[in-house]
Amino acid sequence: MAENILVVGGGPAGLNAAVMLSELGVNVTLVERDSFIGGNPKKFKYKFLFPDMQPADNVIGELIKKTESGGNIKVYYSSEVSDFKENGKKFDATIKSAGGSETKTFDSVIVATGFEHFDPARDAKYSYQLFDDVIDIKDLERMMGENNFVRPSNGQPPKNVAFILCVGSRDRHIGNQYCSRVCCTISVKQAIELKEHFPDCEVYIFYMDIRTYGFFEDLYWQAMEEHDVQIVKGRIAEITSGPNNTVVCKGEDTLLRGPFEIPFDMVVLASGMEGGPQSPEISSKLGIELDEHGFLKPENITLSPFKSNKAGIFLAGACTGPKAISDSITEGAAAAMNAYTYAVKNR
Amino acid sequence: MALKKQEQRPVAEKGEHIIARHLIEDDSIKEEKNLVIDGVDVSGRWNTFILSRVDSEFDRSFFREIKDTVVGSRINRCWQCGMCTASCTVTPLYRRFNPRAFIYMMQLGNLKELKKYIDVAWRCVGCYKCSQRCPKQVNPAEMMEALGLLIKKYFPEEVQSKLKVDEDVKKIYDDMILGHGRLDLAKLHTSAMQKTGRTKELLGKIERDAIFKMAKDGRAFSILRLGKPHNWNSSKEAMGNYLKNLNTIESSEA
Ligand SMILES: Cc1cc2nc3c(=O)[nH]c(=O)nc-3n(C[C@H](O)[C@H](O)[C@H](O)COP(=O)(O)OP(=O)(O)OC[C@H]3O[C@@H](n4cnc5c(N)ncnc54)[C@H](O)[C@@H]3O)c2cc1C
Ligand code: SF4
Ligand code: SF4
Ligand code: SF4
Repeated sequence: MAENILVVGGGPAGLNAAVMLSELGVNVTLVERDSFIGGNPKKFKYKFLFPDMQPADNVIGELIKKTESGGNIKVYYSSEVSDFKENGKKFDATIKSAGGSETKTFDSVIVATGFEHFDPARDAKYSYQLFDDVIDIKDLERMMGENNFVRPSNGQPPKNVAFILCVGSRDRHIGNQYCSRVCCTISVKQAIELKEHFPDCEVYIFYMDIRTYGFFEDLYWQAMEEHDVQIVKGRIAEITSGPNNTVVCKGEDTLLRGPFEIPFDMVVLASGMEGGPQSPEISSKLGIELDEHGFLKPENITLSPFKSNKAGIFLAGACTGPKAISDSITEGAAAAMNAYTYAVKNR
Repeated sequence: MALKKQEQRPVAEKGEHIIARHLIEDDSIKEEKNLVIDGVDVSGRWNTFILSRVDSEFDRSFFREIKDTVVGSRINRCWQCGMCTASCTVTPLYRRFNPRAFIYMMQLGNLKELKKYIDVAWRCVGCYKCSQRCPKQVNPAEMMEALGLLIKKYFPEEVQSKLKVDEDVKKIYDDMILGHGRLDLAKLHTSAMQKTGRTKELLGKIERDAIFKMAKDGRAFSILRLGKPHNWNSSKEAMGNYLKNLNTIESSEA
């Protein structure tokens, strides 16, 4: 008899876990909150992925295709786990969807509920939603995905653009002390894409640190050396409206020691990642631990980053903290392996 | 004969003959106007000595001293992002007033550098815009108080000689003290904003939020209810006289 494994969340992590389990012959049940699978990359129409600028479809489209064609995966769209109980070493879960409620017994569970983008409107100083030309990286990602790079306020190409790093991350006031890990790399990637699209546009990045860790550093060098992207050291304290339909960034050039107020056609906020409302929800529903940053907590962050504190429930992807797609996919595979082993042992 | 020649020589400015003189600070040039060594006259340019411009130590004792004060206890948190300076009410008026840079100098115990800013270091108006934005909650507004205390302790003479009062700011202070009997930080802040032409910002979301918050938690009203200090009229007269005398002394010194 084949094992039954539940995967919650259909982003890169959850999809890869599902695909790998199905290849092992497991009956996979995939519960996805949205009406589509593919997670945040699909929702915000990522077009090209860092680090190598390959089309997102190569990755996300591929995973979706495998999920939908793999005969062993049953996907529940627009659904949720409405009830969850332990049953010896197994788990009874009720899945609620438009088609009604179904209760099944699972040998093990993988949680891959991912992240939410920080909402920059929560930090008033950036005037997000106040000015049309202040957008954030997920908005720009979506705009680029729709081939629409222009200024939201008037549909014109921007003459100069400012990226502001660490929005909603590394800030005690906002309550997020951690670094969101990907926003630096996304910013340099988008800066390159902007310059490729509008070679005459000047692009500036306001930074405190640029954390394009590992090989992501290549993109950062490329942005400066091949596209003349200029970096300026200082965090922005305020965005106000300027002359001729511009937005003014007020900051300090900490290297030159002095304040500046510079008008831009467009400002892009590098907003970070959050555990979102789904992390505490799933934590209390499944009885697994939440960490102090609002993400799900692995049993041992170094030894077993893909295990929850509860035997038989495994974690994968951005639900345990900010990370890139490759890491999420790796964790999906690791969680699949562990969930399978647990299921076989307790057969 | 030799002596006569020396008398005729035009008196040179200190370090005048140094190429790219403007790159070297006055304090770093040592030069004796009249110096004779072993009977050889080495006056002026013949004994010029330029002190090393390379810093050779970080003085952490100083950092610890600041950290032990109530107002400076969070100095170890600052990571030099510049949000305080960027939001400061005073910096646009006095570009040399830079809370971030001052905190850095305090962290490294760089008194030599701090000394150059004695004339502006005390100019914080206490608006707390910096503390409201600082991502590390260093409370830079209070760090500026720590700075004031420190400068007073380490450079008492310079404080006496270099602190020049800005007439406009002084008038705002004087009017406030004589008018209300106490400093009104909100008013100080408003005046400084007006002076820098930032009246529009006063109606911005952040300022509005602060006002609502103060109205809601009662701080705004408790300030109004405070009224004037006890026995105000006689005090006011005494203070008025004091300020008048001070003004006469200052103008005769100028
Ligand atoms: C603007 C931006 C651009 C990025 N670009 C890149 C890039 O170019 N390259 C790269 O490597 N990384 C990139 N990333 C990072 C990438 O988005 C993440 O690594 C990845 O999405 C994480 O995958 P995930 O499956 O863990 O989570 P998610 O993508 O967040 O997917 C989670 C899924 O779970 C579902 N879900 C949530 N809660 C529940 C629930 N209770 N029940 C059922 N379903 C639920 C969600 O609807 C979603 O479909 C970018 C991130 C941002 C913010
Ligand atoms: S990745 Fe970069 S922008 Fe994002 S939080 Fe870290 S340092 Fe800030
Ligand atoms: S409290 Fe002082 S240092 Fe801070 S912003 Fe106001 S004037 Fe500047
Ligand atoms: S805002 Fe805070 S952390 Fe940033 S430089 Fe100023 S005091 Fe330091």
